[in-house]
Amino acid sequence: MQTIKLFEGPFHEWIVFGRDSEKIDKIVDTNQYLVKTNREAILLDPGGIELFSSMLAAVVHFLPVEQITHLFASHQDPDIISSLGLWDKTLPTATLHAPWIWEGFLRHYGCNNITYNPIADEGGTLKVDGIELEFIPAHYMHASGNFGVYDPQAKILFSGDVGGGLNSHEDPMFVQDFDQHIKQIKTFHQRWMPSEKAKEAWIKRVRKLDIDLMCPQHGAIYKGKDIDRFLDWLEDLEVGTALRSS
Amino acid sequence: MRQSSELETTFFVTAVAVSARLGHVLKEAKNISLEAMNAKALVARAGENVRTFKPITDYMVELANDTIRLVADIDQEALRISKASLIALRGNEAVNHFNTAKVKAQKALYRDSFEPALQDAEKDLHLFQQNLLRNIRRLNELLEEIENRMLAANVVTSTSRLEAATVSPLYRANFEAIVEKFENAAKTIRAIVRECRKVLNVR
Repeated sequence: MQTIKLFEGPFHEWIVFGRDSEKIDKIVDTNQYLVKTNREAILLDPGGIELFSSMLAAVVHFLPVEQITHLFASHQDPDIISSLGLWDKTLPTATLHAPWIWEGFLRHYGCNNITYNPIADEGGTLKVDGIELEFIPAHYMHASGNFGVYDPQAKILFSGDVGGGLNSHEDPMFVQDFDQHIKQIKTFHQRWMPSEKAKEAWIKRVRKLDIDLMCPQHGAIYKGKDIDRFLDWLEDLEVGTALRSS
Repeated sequence: MRQSSELETTFFVTAVAVSARLGHVLKEAKNISLEAMNAKALVARAGENVRTFKPITDYMVELANDTIRLVADIDQEALRISKASLIALRGNEAVNHFNTAKVKAQKALYRDSFEPALQDAEKDLHLFQQNLLRNIRRLNELLEEIENRMLAANVVTSTSRLEAATVSPLYRANFEAIVEKFENAAKTIRAIVRECRKVLNVR
């Protein structure tokens, strides 16, 4: 499992975990993010059950596990949070922040100890040891209840599936050649994102944010100008294509 | 004693398979009940001539009812085993995940921080396995109970044959037919129960 420190501020850090070379071939590669202060931490989209041991082994390089007081799930997919039952055993006093509509569904993964904090449709904020994080609505991008996480201090947007692609674990962690990169993510966005209206609302919302890094849950991370390029490209892209061809 | 770690792996399937097989036992038990009713009617018609058959038919009814009740108990127990084995399986998986993480985190600074979680998972697993073993033992006991009753049915069959031989030729063929059906049903039940116990013990 590769780990890269994305941001180091006076009070907190962002770390990405991904490109797990030991993962089973046929499961999709995913990025997991840890936002940590000196006393607390939140894991964003902690990953699937198959990844749990690698993730647990990776995070204990950075902090004692009890320091993770919060988990966040952008939506309900198994690659996002099917490890919940095991995190529930590891972090029984933690709080899971996830879309309210998925509570009854996510509990199928096992949530006996962890507290479920349902995020309202309009989003909200969370303070992790003084660091304020914003839950940015991304409904229907792709799931019907979906959020990103924005950190105004670090200027990082965790964008969930938006900007992601079905990458190989050998692909680079950052976008290197944007034109080449979009070829890899085009089909993913056309097929997974169902609604033009949702896409436009999301772009409008995200354009208002000051972002240095846009971090998807799959694929490569966007830096600087590639973020605007991506938003322009997505704006022109027709999504929900399966609906049109069926 | 079989290894505890392997207990939970396929027991949720085995228990359901046992339960499915017992559907046939229920059918045969109902057949016994029906034959017992026929025998009772025949005893009433034949009167004093076949009065020794009355306790036998009463026993047949009792045997059928007991078997039907035991099958219902076994169904419940099989369901409990199925649930218990899935819980144990998940517990076993959790322990495996934590152990894998332990190996992968060998050089990590805070690798000991998830030790309490691993220990709790191991404790849970032990408890789940104990529950599962208890459920399996109970299922075996219930199956044994049916088998014992079917052994007793053998004795009743022999007695019935002797009695059938002594009744008036007018009713003899009828009684012999009832005894034969009773014997066959008891044999079938025994065979199924033996198979079920074998499936449980092979695991």
